[in-house]
Amino acid sequence: MFEFIGKNIKRIDAKDKVEGKAIYPQDIYIEGMLYGFTVRSKFPHAFIKVDVSEAEKVDGVVKVFTYKDVPGKNHHGVVLKDHEVFISKKVKRIGDPIAFVVAKSKEIAEYAASLVKVEYDILPAVFDPEEAMRENSPKVHDKDNVFYHFKIRKGDVEKAFKECDVIVENVYKVPMVDHAFLQPEAGVSYIDEDGKIVVIASTQYPHFDQEEIAQALGVSKDLVKVLTPAVGGAFGGREDITLQIHLAIAAFTLKRPVKAVYSREESFIAHSKRHAMKMYYKTGATKDGKLLALEAKIIGDSGAYASWSMNVLRKAAVHATGPYVVENVKIDSFAVYTNNPFTGAMRGFGATQVPIAYEQQMDILARKLGLSPIEIRLKNCFKEGSETATGQILEKVALEKCIEELKRF
Amino acid sequence: MKIELNVNGKDYSIEIEEHLRLIDLLRDKLNLTGTKEGCGEGECGACTVIMDGRIVNSCLVMAFQAHKSKIITIEGVEDEDIKNAFIEEGAVQCGFCTPGMILAAKSLLDKNENPSEQDIREAISGNLCRCTGYNKIVSAIKKAAEIKRGGRNV
Amino acid sequence: MNLKACYRPLTLKEALDYLEEYKDKSKIIAGGTDLIIKLRKGNINPQVLIDISFINELKGVLEVGEYMEIGCGTTFYDLASCILLNERLKGLKDAARSVGSPQIRNRGTIGGNICNASPAADSVVPLLALDSILTLESKKGKRKIYLKDFFKDKGKTDIRDDEILTTIKFKTPTKNQGLGFYKLGLRKSLAISRISFSVFLEIDDINRIEIIRVASGSVGKFPMREYKIENYLTGRILDEDTLNTALEILEKDIYERLNGRNTARFKSIAAKGVFKKALLKALCLAKGGGKIED
Repeated sequence: MFEFIGKNIKRIDAKDKVEGKAIYPQDIYIEGMLYGFTVRSKFPHAFIKVDVSEAEKVDGVVKVFTYKDVPGKNHHGVVLKDHEVFISKKVKRIGDPIAFVVAKSKEIAEYAASLVKVEYDILPAVFDPEEAMRENSPKVHDKDNVFYHFKIRKGDVEKAFKECDVIVENVYKVPMVDHAFLQPEAGVSYIDEDGKIVVIASTQYPHFDQEEIAQALGVSKDLVKVLTPAVGGAFGGREDITLQIHLAIAAFTLKRPVKAVYSREESFIAHSKRHAMKMYYKTGATKDGKLLALEAKIIGDSGAYASWSMNVLRKAAVHATGPYVVENVKIDSFAVYTNNPFTGAMRGFGATQVPIAYEQQMDILARKLGLSPIEIRLKNCFKEGSETATGQILEKVALEKCIEELKRF
Repeated sequence: MKIELNVNGKDYSIEIEEHLRLIDLLRDKLNLTGTKEGCGEGECGACTVIMDGRIVNSCLVMAFQAHKSKIITIEGVEDEDIKNAFIEEGAVQCGFCTPGMILAAKSLLDKNENPSEQDIREAISGNLCRCTGYNKIVSAIKKAAEIKRGGRNV
Repeated sequence: MNLKACYRPLTLKEALDYLEEYKDKSKIIAGGTDLIIKLRKGNINPQVLIDISFINELKGVLEVGEYMEIGCGTTFYDLASCILLNERLKGLKDAARSVGSPQIRNRGTIGGNICNASPAADSVVPLLALDSILTLESKKGKRKIYLKDFFKDKGKTDIRDDEILTTIKFKTPTKNQGLGFYKLGLRKSLAISRISFSVFLEIDDINRIEIIRVASGSVGKFPMREYKIENYLTGRILDEDTLNTALEILEKDIYERLNGRNTARFKSIAAKGVFKKALLKALCLAKGGGKIED
């Protein structure tokens, strides 16, 4: 009946991959190409002064790039342009890029990078998002650390909690997680025969990258070509820019091909993480197990940059009731800057963290009411025509059947 | 310094720098880029090659130590059964672990025609995959073993 | 890296000549599975590497009278599959099998594991329980030292910069004796031991403990013997009460040793379970067989 559904389809790239012929950016070698190595912040919050003179004297070093060498705008970011291509004044996390050393070999670039002098004037830092929400906390971006607040209001929770026979109140915390895709970041940039700046990188968003690179170079988008060869896993971790602009600026300025490959350690430092969240939950039900009210406050640690935090915290709020009908809902989610590694997209995009909280609440409610975990879920789960906390009317809901299946175990 | 070695059946006599690792020699000097570097510390197994009949992490062997050795990289694997089984079973996703996985599988099947599931899991225990969840890789190796024993064709 | 020369001697004599010449400017490399990481991180910065992995006389297991002698260049794979090591030495094979991954076991050597003096060195723990004797050789001659006296601090050993660890030997276990090993790691492969224990046991027909040697990994600065528990158990009949008292002694001892570290409470409690498993394995082997589930 269907051409594809229900059938095993061979991936078109599988043959190349089993033969070791698939090309990832680190597999590209171009005659005469240079190698770049990134100098990164060693402190989470500090004013910096950078001196590259010693590094530039090293035999084999072609140029050391800093914010002064960014031809266009020294910024990027998937939603807010709050990243700098190279830090100009203040580092906001460990690992912020400060300089990019370009040399004739990897070894020379790495050695010269150790000679880039960075003077740090260390500032008080903030690592706990709740602390960062306070008025007197250190300000990561010189403004309020809370840059996003999303609200869901349905019914009247205050009144509904008074009608509940049982109320469960708990705080849940989940940590940051790294994607740990198997292929560390790598890329090559060069100028092609048409005079276009080509960046070959493992990325999830070649079209976004193209725009950000063009802005940083101060050129029109048509002059920038981003090619995505084989990508060794991403899981959301390649949505933000890492080395793309650095490579483009180097190739654009030097008119020579430039390559960079991150080590695993640098990869961990360079890209985003899954949001750590702290979730305050209050859930109330009648004595026969019907959910009446849910109130939640979800605080997401965005780290030093916004990345997709707004979208992630909105999604966390939208999923905060879980797949259960609750008539009275009050949810507040916040994205907060801290001096931690920045957080962005990772599988689930905010929907992954909240189940830890809402499902535990269901189990605890069930135990208090003497119901089985399955009973309480069947009683409250989304069914055909159910309305979610955001007012969406659901169609074709198979959840009840799924939960029924679990009875067998 | 100079070393001699045989890679994928071909003899090389090659000048190397002392600090070079086997993986650097294979990738940077011999253009055998099918061998991948995922961690540089022997944790991920993406750089697995067969050295004198046994799998090793090529990031944890110095190039000069490979003198007089016989190396097989993914480019030198002629075993189509394993490769086809990986394709058929959906064991390949991002592909970065695939060369190492196939070499680990080959090393197992070269010694054991009829491995148990536990044998297979043990054989690939030094190779990380972040995409598949491993089950499809295990099925692929099982299938390859079956085909080798003259079982059903793909 | 600042390497100027790398040598591949084919004989021990040749290796000792290089070592005499370069001493602390050089490092011995065998499997390289730890050394190459340290080299690349800049933790060590030798000018010369002396590769002893080409020296055949340093590889393999020999039976010499009532002793088993293991060459320092023997890989974990070779040790785990060695037919000379009898069933009573299962603890040593289990430890060798639990190191790293297949790739690491194919390269990593027993000598490297000892000389690195990591607190978590898996294979060192059963060798301690076997009361092994090391032979160290230099141009000046040979000397022997008990493994239990070899470690001086975390990562520090008694080896001099002109010496090579050549062999490790211990008495082959006989009737009524057995060696057990158990390791607690975060996952099955490539997990650095959180805690490991090995127990060498000789027990008579009425379950009286004639000899017991207990060694631990990852509960101190280096793998070490647990003398308090050995002293308590020696000569006693192994029953539930005795075992429980022994476990209390062990918990208290380890808690005091790790006092101030945030792992102290967890490790002192978990160590009891790990020790007990190693002991039961040793007991089973001493009694002449039977299978023990992990």
